[in-house]
Amino acid sequence: MTIEEGVKYVAAAYAIILAVLVLYYFMSARRVTALQRDVNLLEEETKRRQAPAGKGGAE
Amino acid sequence: MRKLVSAPALFIEAGAFLIVGLMLAFWYAPTDSSSMGFSQKIFYYHVPIAETALVAFGIAFVAAIAYLRTQDLKWDRLSYVSVRLGLLFSILVMLTGMIWGKAAWDTWWAWEPRLTTFLLVCFLYAAYWVLRSVVDEEQRRATYAAVFAIIAFIDVPITFFATRFLPEGLHPVVISVGGTGMEGSMFVSFFISMIGMTLLLVGLTRRDLAIENLKDRVTDLKTSLGG
Repeated sequence: MTIEEGVKYVAAAYAIILAVLVLYYFMSARRVTALQRDVNLLEEETKRRQAPAGKGGAE
Repeated sequence: MRKLVSAPALFIEAGAFLIVGLMLAFWYAPTDSSSMGFSQKIFYYHVPIAETALVAFGIAFVAAIAYLRTQDLKWDRLSYVSVRLGLLFSILVMLTGMIWGKAAWDTWWAWEPRLTTFLLVCFLYAAYWVLRSVVDEEQRRATYAAVFAIIAFIDVPITFFATRFLPEGLHPVVISVGGTGMEGSMFVSFFISMIGMTLLLVGLTRRDLAIENLKDRVTDLKTSLGG
């Protein structure tokens, strides 16, 4: 096998690995950020509802 | 809640090891003198990914046993996350293995022991996902999944030893009890990539566990707020 042929296979293999791993990394990072935001919003809402009337702005 | 999110330092370390491993593979390790020539460079990520996939399935197996013993859902989450990552790495192994096969044997696929048993591993763990999706009740789903993860793991050592016990297959045995069958510089490049891939698995496991914990937290908070 010539070097040129070998380069083609090696480039394809490493491109697939890099693409899949980087995609998974960023997808999971986005998922964490979105879920963290949801948790924060829900915790704030819980606190707001638990706050005594008049203190948390409940009219 | 901040503690649930995995430390980015682990990903930086994994990335550093993987980049150094790759650089050594191309500039330090010699080009293979066999018929594969330059395409042998696929080996430096292909094998670490394969071994990491099998480690992930091993973690899923141990976590499944721990769940059945304790009925603690944290073990079910670890088993589930490990299977997911094991499958991700297995898909990469299959894809890069096919490229390797085309370069080495001039065929994308061969029904030989290692490839066939690894394909079976992929199907078994894909079935694990299907099983989880059809059972609604949490504890029952965790129990079924744990039993399935234990049974599915039987194929993992078979895959690992397939090339050793059935040497008539196409797949080479590089690492055995007798040694690595690699030159020193090749082994160093391989070993550094192996460390990088293992660190990546640890980082992704921690992050995926964080995702599962955050999902549970969202569900709990929604329930406490009345839907």
